[in-house]
Amino acid sequence: MKIKGMWWKTLGVIIFIYVLTGGMLVPLKSGILHTTPSSAKCGTTVNIDITGYNTHFSSAKNIRAWLKADSVHAIQAVEVKPVDEIKSVVTFHIPDALPTPDKTQPLTLIMDNELDGIFVQPNAIFVTMADTVSANGALWKSSNLNNFSQVDQFVFPYRNILHETIRNIFFHVALWFAMFILLIAGVYYAILYIRTKDYIYDIKSSSYTKIAVLYGLLGLATGSVWAKFTWNTFWTDDVKLNMTAVTILIYLAYLVLRSTFTDTDRRAKMSSAYNIFAFVAMIPLLFVIPRMADSLHPGNGGNPALGGEDLDHTLRMFFYPAVIALALLGTWMAQLTIRYEHLKEKYFEKHN
Amino acid sequence: MNVVRVKDIFVKELSVDFRMQYALASIFLFAATIVFVIYKSFNNINPREWVIMLWVIMLFAALNAIVKSFLQEKKETYLYYYTLFNPIDLLIAKLVYNFVFLVSLLTVIILIMTFFSGFPVKDLGLFTLGSLLGIAGISVVFTFVSIMSSSGGGHSTLMSILALPLVLPILLLLLKISTVSVRLIVDTSVGNDVMLLLGVDCILLGAVFMLFPMLWRS
Repeated sequence: MKIKGMWWKTLGVIIFIYVLTGGMLVPLKSGILHTTPSSAKCGTTVNIDITGYNTHFSSAKNIRAWLKADSVHAIQAVEVKPVDEIKSVVTFHIPDALPTPDKTQPLTLIMDNELDGIFVQPNAIFVTMADTVSANGALWKSSNLNNFSQVDQFVFPYRNILHETIRNIFFHVALWFAMFILLIAGVYYAILYIRTKDYIYDIKSSSYTKIAVLYGLLGLATGSVWAKFTWNTFWTDDVKLNMTAVTILIYLAYLVLRSTFTDTDRRAKMSSAYNIFAFVAMIPLLFVIPRMADSLHPGNGGNPALGGEDLDHTLRMFFYPAVIALALLGTWMAQLTIRYEHLKEKYFEKHN
Repeated sequence: MNVVRVKDIFVKELSVDFRMQYALASIFLFAATIVFVIYKSFNNINPREWVIMLWVIMLFAALNAIVKSFLQEKKETYLYYYTLFNPIDLLIAKLVYNFVFLVSLLTVIILIMTFFSGFPVKDLGLFTLGSLLGIAGISVVFTFVSIMSSSGGGHSTLMSILALPLVLPILLLLLKISTVSVRLIVDTSVGNDVMLLLGVDCILLGAVFMLFPMLWRS
């Protein structure tokens, strides 16, 4: 049996399996889930109960912890007592005065051990200083905040709020990328149809666009699930989300438009024209308006998206392959649709 | 582009519409009735509702109005035009006519709404600019869609299915600009929205000019 285009179809499947297994099985880096208490007074000794995530507190030999106020002021823990692998109690003597004049300051908890490397919990504890005391930076200078353990791990970054859902980046974001690639293919064939009036281009254009709409709906679904875990709602009144909904509606109207014609030539002409029009209308919707307004969604309203620490090299190792795999699988699906349409044509020719 | 031709088609559209007065009257009656119904059901319309109602009424009145702009003409008339005009001339005339028509429709709706529930707009310049740009965009989209649906066999349902999603981004920007112009919210970057609306208009206009000569031939 010979399958046309065997190599890239196999490639797509293999890459997708790689993304699925790697994306699901690579562990998350160690992090801190939560800490108690959340506030303390200056000049006291506090025992902070720490619940970690993917940590090895009892196996680690050399656990150190700090409370950091800013880049130069920090204190080191006097004692770190592991309870089990994910729980430990850290004792701090908080100095009599805070390093800067603010009466209440959030401190960042930093932990380090030779198995998990370094990890932090921002705003872990709020420390209050009495009104009568004035700030004293010198008390916060002797912290030895250095010599962090270098651990060779293959892990995804641990992010507060996101936690394990960070893996969704391989599906949600990659689906949108792949959708855009398929839409470009669709509009390219629509333009070719208009230039040549060759019916085959209309079949191609509509098939790619159909699969792109499917990817768009899947992207919306994965995004919704992600939003439920991070924003605690499936849908929120956010400019990016609303514009995406409009785009999906525009392309659903494309499908409706195709279904209203019985005359194939006319359908081809109309839907190609509409496809181009919709593509042109989509660009400001997805790429311009959300960037100009305030938005919760990453990549918009000044939020970072594919930059900085949010997409580190371990994520990149799966993210870009995910885009390629989904684009290849989408192309495959589109080609199946194209062949189905061809067969349908042939069948009707024979029986009419 | 031939200015005289464009003017001729424009005048012809105008005279056809004035001859078919019932069509014109029905659109204005539609607007007046809806405004009255909304006034009666809300009793007291606050500026926010005023803005929303204005654009929703405008949207549906415009939809009704433009469907006929291409649907009223028979196939034979098209064939006649085809031998007579450059498609670009015809398109420009239709666009200008639809734009003027929608602007007058909006003026009438605003007048009726003002009569019943006051005129809350504080920044008249911004409101006028935003409305004109928005109407320009709406008329481009509706003209395009009515061309498509008239050559698709004249379904008016097809028209609304295609037109409403395409016109949504324009409408959302319009609502934002008008909300700023009634001072419900303060937004120093409203200039961006106006520019964006202008940009969307230009993109859509470009697409229509590109596609019309091809569509028209059918």
